[in-house]
Amino acid sequence: MSPAARLLSRPVSVFNLARREPERRDVLFNSYDYLLYFLPLSLVGFFALGRRPTWAVAWLVAASLFFYAWWDSRYLPLILGSIAFNFLIGRALHRQTARARLILAGGIAGNLLLLGVFKYADFALSNVATLLGKPLPLPHLILPLGISFFTFTQIAYLVDVYRSKAREPSVANYALFVSFFPHLLAGPILHHSEMMPQFASPTNKRPQATNLAAGLFLLCIGLVKKVCFADQLAPLADAGFANPAGLSTLGAWLAVLAYTLQIYFDFSGYTDMALGAARMFNIQLPLNFDSPYHATNIREFWQRWHMTLSRFLREYLYIPLGGNRHGPWRTVLAIMATFLLGGLWHGASWTFVAWGAMHGAALVSYRAWERTGLRLPRPLAWAVTFLFVMVAWVFFRAQSLAAAAAMLRALSGANVVEGGAAAQTWLSQLAAALTPDAQSSATWLGTIMLASVVIAAMRRNSNVMAREFVPSWPTGIAVTLGLVFSVLQLGKVAPFIYFNF
Amino acid sequence: MTAISAMTPAADRPARRWFAGVILATVALLASSASFVWWVDPFQQYHLSSKYPPRFYSLHHRYINPGLAKHQAYDTVVSGSSIMESTRNSVVARLCGGAAVNLSMPAMSASEQRLMLDTAFASRTLRRVIAVLDFNEFAGTPEERQDIAGPLPTYLYDRNPFNDLPYLLSWNVLLRSWRIFTDDHGERYTSDPDAPWYWGNLKRFGRDEVLRGLDLSHLNARFQQPQRTLAGMRASFEHNLLPLLRAHPQTEFDLVWPPYSILVWVDFAQRDQLDVSLAFKRYVFEATRGLPNVAITDLQSERSITHDLDRYTDLYHFDPAVNERLVEAVCSRRTAFDARDVDEAERSLREQVAAARTPAGLAQVVGARAQ
Repeated sequence: MSPAARLLSRPVSVFNLARREPERRDVLFNSYDYLLYFLPLSLVGFFALGRRPTWAVAWLVAASLFFYAWWDSRYLPLILGSIAFNFLIGRALHRQTARARLILAGGIAGNLLLLGVFKYADFALSNVATLLGKPLPLPHLILPLGISFFTFTQIAYLVDVYRSKAREPSVANYALFVSFFPHLLAGPILHHSEMMPQFASPTNKRPQATNLAAGLFLLCIGLVKKVCFADQLAPLADAGFANPAGLSTLGAWLAVLAYTLQIYFDFSGYTDMALGAARMFNIQLPLNFDSPYHATNIREFWQRWHMTLSRFLREYLYIPLGGNRHGPWRTVLAIMATFLLGGLWHGASWTFVAWGAMHGAALVSYRAWERTGLRLPRPLAWAVTFLFVMVAWVFFRAQSLAAAAAMLRALSGANVVEGGAAAQTWLSQLAAALTPDAQSSATWLGTIMLASVVIAAMRRNSNVMAREFVPSWPTGIAVTLGLVFSVLQLGKVAPFIYFNF
Repeated sequence: MTAISAMTPAADRPARRWFAGVILATVALLASSASFVWWVDPFQQYHLSSKYPPRFYSLHHRYINPGLAKHQAYDTVVSGSSIMESTRNSVVARLCGGAAVNLSMPAMSASEQRLMLDTAFASRTLRRVIAVLDFNEFAGTPEERQDIAGPLPTYLYDRNPFNDLPYLLSWNVLLRSWRIFTDDHGERYTSDPDAPWYWGNLKRFGRDEVLRGLDLSHLNARFQQPQRTLAGMRASFEHNLLPLLRAHPQTEFDLVWPPYSILVWVDFAQRDQLDVSLAFKRYVFEATRGLPNVAITDLQSERSITHDLDRYTDLYHFDPAVNERLVEAVCSRRTAFDARDVDEAERSLREQVAAARTPAGLAQVVGARAQ
C-alpha cells in the first residue's frame, strides 16, 4: 500500500467503517418515524422547555444529534468532532488577530481534509491508479449524511469570524447552528449571522400558532412534492438512465425530462419540508429555490436554483478568486473554477465535473451574449435555458461519462431500437416510453409529468404560497388531505436524491 | 434575515384553530385508516383471516409469511425457497405428524431464512424444522437479502407494534383492505391456507418445458445465478443458520439438499461451481455432525428424480409429487448421515455429472427431441 493510501485509509480502522454495510435506519423527512414520532416529540419537548432557554437549546441539539445518529450512530463522533474543531478554531480566530490568517487556513484545511477523506478518497485514488497504471487499494468509506452541507456551513462560519462578521461564544448555540436537524442533511447552507439571533430570541422558544400553521402548510407542500411528484417520476427516470442504449429518441427525452422534474420536486420538496419544520420552531431558514424552471437565462437559473449554495460559492469562492474585478479573462477563470468545484462538490465523479463545466461555460457564453445587446423573445429564451439545463442534468444523473454519452446519443436520435419508431404511431410510442415497468401506468405517469411541467414552469412556487398563506377552511382541507394521502404513500420510502451529496 | 416576530394572542387565534383542526383531522383520518387495516388485516399480521377468506397475493410471501408464523397453529415449519412453495401443510402433517406451516419464500437468502425462522421460534414451540438448503441462498454477504418483491419488511417480523406504521398506514394495504371489505376480486391471489404459495397447478412440467430457451453449452445464460465462494457460503451459514441450530436443541432440524435436475450440476461444472458446491455440502455436514438435533437428508444424487426432466418445469423447480417425496424421505427415514454417506453421495454425484457433461450423456439426459 502506498503511503498516501495508508494515510487515507487510517480513518477506516478508527471508525471501523470499511466496506461493512451498516444497519442503517433512515429518519428521512419522508418517513413515518420523522413525521409521526420525531418531529412532534421534538416540538413538544422544545416548547415545554421554552421558559428555560438553555434547556430548550440543549433539547434541540440533543434531538438533532439523535436525528443524525439514528441513520448510523458510528458517525456521531464525526459530526461532534467537526463541531468541536470548528468552534475552537472560531474562538481562536476571534482572539488571535496576528495569526488569524494562518488559523483560518488551518481551519479550512481541516474541513476540506475531512470532506476529502470521506467523499473524495476513492475518486482521487482511483484516478491516481489510472494514471499510474496499477491498482491502488480504495478505502470505500461510506459517505456520512450531510457532510458536504455541514462542512460548507462551518467553513462559511470560520470565514465570517475571520472577517469579524460573526462570533459565537456559546458552544451549545454553535452546536445548534450546525446540527439543527431541518437543515442538517441537505441544507439550506446557512450564514451564522442569519441564524443566531433567531436561536437566541426567547420569544422563539414559545409556540406561535402562525408559525406552526405556516410551517405545517409548507411542510405539507414539500411532502406532496416529494411523494406525489418526485417519487412517481423516479421509475421513468431510473429505467431510462439504467439502459440509455435501449431507448428510443422519444423515450430518452421523456427519461431526461422525468429526471429534470424529479430532481426539482425532490430537492425543492425537501427544502420546503426543512423550511416548514424550522418555521414550526419559529426559525426562518433562507430560501433555496425560487421557481428555477421559470428562468429565461442561465444566470437567472443559478439565482433561483439551490440559492444558498450559489451564495456560498459566490461569496467564498468566486469573489475571493477575483470575481469580475480583474478583467474579462480573470472573470472567465473565476467562473469556470467556481463551477468546476461546485460540480465536484455534488459528487466525486467526472460526471459532476462535466456538469459543472457545462454550467460554467454556459454562464461565460451568456455573459458574452449579453455584451452583444441582442435579446431573445422571452418564450425562446425560456426554452433555450430549460433545454440546456435539462441536457446538463444528463451528466448529473448518469453513472459515468460513457453512460452520459449513451444518453446523449439516444437524445440525438442515433439509437436504433428494435420494433422501432417508424413501425409505431406516436401515441403508442408515447405509451411505451411512459411504461418503464410492469407496475407503471402510462396514463398516470403522463398525467403526473404534465402536471409537473405545469407546476414547475408556470405556477407560483411554495415560498410565495407560504408568504400568502392565510388560515382558512379550504387550505385546512387541502393540507389535511395532502398530509393524509402523502403519509399513506410512504410505504415505499425512497431517499431524497440530495442526501448523497 | 430577520427573526420571525411573535403575534398577539388575538391575531394568533385563527392560526391556532387552523393548526389544531388540521392536526386533529389528520390524526383522525390516519387513525381511522389504520384501524380499518388492522380490522381487515389483509396480510394477517394481527389475526388469521376469519371474517373473510384469506388472500395470499402473488409474490407477497415476505409480507404474509410473518403473519402466518405468528398466528397459525403449528409445531413443524417448512422453510425453503420457491422449490418448496408447492408443499402442502396437510401433506407434511400426514407424513411427519403434528401441524405444519410452510414459510417458504421465492429466491430466499440465508439471512431471510434466519429471520423467518426467528419469527416462528418467537411465536411457537417447534418440534421440527424442515430447512431446505439452496446453494444460492448462501451467495453474497451473510446479510444478503433478495428484494424480489420489494425490500424485506423487517417491521413485520417482530412484535413491536410501534414500527408497523408502513403496514397500517399504507395506501396499497388500505386499497387491499377495501377490496376485501367490498368483496372485489380484481387482483391475483389464492385462498387456500393449506398451500398459500402453491404453484404446481400453474406451471407445465416436462422436458420440453425445461429445455425451452436453454443453451446447453451455457446453462446459466437464462437463469443468471450468482457465482459463490466457499468462504462466503461458510460465513453465511455460520452467521445465519448455525446459531439457530445451536440455540434450539429441543427442536429437530432436518437440513435437506433438494433434488435439482442433473442439468443444474452440469451448469455448476460449466461455470466452475461444482467443487465449491460439494465442498460446502461437506462443510455443512462437518459443522453440524456434533449437533444431535440436526439430521441431513440428501436427495441430490437420486437419479430417478434428477435425470427425469419430465418432473421439472425448469432446471431447479420440480413437480409437487417430488415435494411430497422429499418430505416423506425426511420424516420416514431419519437415520444418521455419516461420513461414509457424504463420501458416497459426493462420489455418486461427481460420476453423474461427469457422465452428463459428455455429449452422449447430455443427449441421453435431454432426450432425442433436444438434440
